Amino acid sequence: MDKVSLRKLGVVFKREYLERVRSKWFLVGTLLGPVFFAMITVLPILISTKTHASTDLANVTIIDATGSGIGERVAGALRQRFPLSPVPQVRSVDAASIGAEEDRAMLAVRDKETRGYLVLDSTTVAGTSARYAGRNAGSIGDVEQITSIVRQQVLAQRLQSEGIDAKRVAALTGTRLEVRTERIGDSGREQGSGLGAAFLGYIVALLLYMMIVLYGQTVLRGVMEEKTTRVAEVVVSSVDTDTLLAGKIFGIGLVAVTQVLAWVALSIALAVYGGPLLAKKLGAGAFAASAIPSISVPALGALLLYFVLGFIFYASLFAAIGAMVNSQEDVQQASMPVMLLLVSTVIFMTPITTNPGSALARTMSLLPFSAPILMPLRMTLVSVPWYEVAGSLAGVVVACLAAIWVSARIYRVGLLMYGKRPTFGELARWVRHAG
Amino acid sequence: MSDLAIDIRNVAKRYAEHVAVRDLSLQVPRGAVYGLLGPNGAGKTTTIRMILNIIVPDSGTIELFGQPHLTNGATDRIGYLPEERGLYKKMQVRRVLRFLAELKGVPGKLAEARIEEWLERFQLRTPEKDWGLAKIDELSRGMQQKVQFIGTLLHDPDLVILDEPFSGLDPINAQALKDTVVDLKARGKTVIFSTHLMDNAERLCDAVCIIARGDKVLDGPVTAVKAAHGGRVIALAVGGESRPAIAHILADRTLVSRVDDQNRFYEINLAPGADPQRLLQRVVETGAAIQRFELVQPSLHQIFLERVGASGVEEGMSGQG
Repeated sequence: MDKVSLRKLGVVFKREYLERVRSKWFLVGTLLGPVFFAMITVLPILISTKTHASTDLANVTIIDATGSGIGERVAGALRQRFPLSPVPQVRSVDAASIGAEEDRAMLAVRDKETRGYLVLDSTTVAGTSARYAGRNAGSIGDVEQITSIVRQQVLAQRLQSEGIDAKRVAALTGTRLEVRTERIGDSGREQGSGLGAAFLGYIVALLLYMMIVLYGQTVLRGVMEEKTTRVAEVVVSSVDTDTLLAGKIFGIGLVAVTQVLAWVALSIALAVYGGPLLAKKLGAGAFAASAIPSISVPALGALLLYFVLGFIFYASLFAAIGAMVNSQEDVQQASMPVMLLLVSTVIFMTPITTNPGSALARTMSLLPFSAPILMPLRMTLVSVPWYEVAGSLAGVVVACLAAIWVSARIYRVGLLMYGKRPTFGELARWVRHAG
Repeated sequence: MSDLAIDIRNVAKRYAEHVAVRDLSLQVPRGAVYGLLGPNGAGKTTTIRMILNIIVPDSGTIELFGQPHLTNGATDRIGYLPEERGLYKKMQVRRVLRFLAELKGVPGKLAEARIEEWLERFQLRTPEKDWGLAKIDELSRGMQQKVQFIGTLLHDPDLVILDEPFSGLDPINAQALKDTVVDLKARGKTVIFSTHLMDNAERLCDAVCIIARGDKVLDGPVTAVKAAHGGRVIALAVGGESRPAIAHILADRTLVSRVDDQNRFYEINLAPGADPQRLLQRVVETGAAIQRFELVQPSLHQIFLERVGASGVEEGMSGQG
């Protein structure tokens, strides 16, 4: 790039950056961002502590068809665990009348007298299964609690039937074990919990997606504004379209980076001053579990690289769309293909978070259109071999160059083309002839 | 140093559906006010865009002040006011102007000083109100047009290109623009403007080029163009009661190729080879009361109609200018 173009690039870049950073919306977004993040980080903790504190979990009907008194044992354990809850009702029945008893228990649940009912039968004694039905059957926390109590009591019952003293049994089985998780990576043990890493990965991926969509569409709107206000013609008489496009994408990209940095700074401030307050309120344990795991410098560098490349890829596509359309109505339709790419990426975030080693996760983190969002997610969850990272980066770079090449051509022709939206055939011609 | 501001040689531009410019050559002398005339769709805007390197010609060369127009920064010497005008709506007037000036290579400090000068000159900054602090979309249409002029001239260009400058202008701004053109000429700048309004061109231009359907029809200094087409146009006025009597003479295509009834007189183009004396004789024979019979210099409008014809106007419609 020669000196004149470079100077003009600077002028365009400066305008794109300053005009946006100076706007009211940028200020509002920057201030509200951390509040939003605090909400999505603290809310799950609040909810999970709330499930721990769920006090009326014992308000259930226990239908005991085992004839071995397990029902009473479970009821006793529930009473002990949830002293504030209404006590469980135990109905000892024979196997044949389980159905009738269940109907009755269901009515009680329906009328909100109890939260659910638990069916214990011969399979429970055999140690294979029990059944729980209730309003909170969808709550993983609640079901986990009930399951562990039933399991414990079946075990206790078996020990006792082997002739071990009841008090000894209670002492032996009365454990409430919690598993702390730790991640091991290439450099050995890493700080922070594994679950914390999953959480961080999810947030990072979500943030990447959000910033790409928000600021990609800012590029689209910027191009469309220049086109529809007709200012484009004056501008391109002073600066060539490639420089204009580059200045626009870099300028807006830096706005995004500025915003993220401001968010990080504000969030740290919020955590430093607001964290202890929150910890006091929720109990230190709940907060420590979700403490932010540290990220290594290379990982941070990779993250930034993925963001920059992903942004350039999508921003150039959005710019091409902005140059194609003439009205707000056209935008939605025209940007559909690009949005589909982005949304299909987000759809895979949850499956990849739960199973980061799967073939799906590997494929999606290597495909150029999804790699910028999903590879950073995978990298925070498991250690990805360096060649996979290098491969995906190379793919993204190639995709970027292709997107820039096509978009710059569509942009060059489309920016001064008014009238109806081009067909695919016309677009192809733009790309071919825009040399 | 070349004494041509613009030297276009054999430039052509084709699109998939049509030819916008077909083998066009034209020279614009330094310091001239030059009119690029033609019906809509004649190729005026395409030609201008090629000069500014917005569109790349398929063939041919363009030189600005003796240098190829692709030379780095060559187009920075041009100030361009496009036909389709507009500015960043949400941007402050001063910032828009500074942006446009900096794009053309004017250093920030100098740009600021000039912006103040121009704002004052165009009454956008008065003791009561400083419109320079307003956003573009808070300005009236007339004020936006002023800002756009300022943006065109802020970098003190040696060549100013105005594409259909009078379209959509209110009379006050049209006058301001005309004054500006005269002032630019007085300062030795070159001005090119395209228009399909011949009256404007006739009043302002030193030289013109008429193009139609992508081809040059004629070009040269206005006086030369008029002289070349002189002697073939006659202004004829007769008493009102005599008008019907001469109708059949005016309809005679061996004598008269075209008549333009101007109400107070007929503007008559003689048929090729026809003798003005013969026409006068025929009119006298009818006994019509002749008030005026004069060989006149044709107006550019007349020349345009004669050379391009009504068909040229009809066919121009692509919107590519």
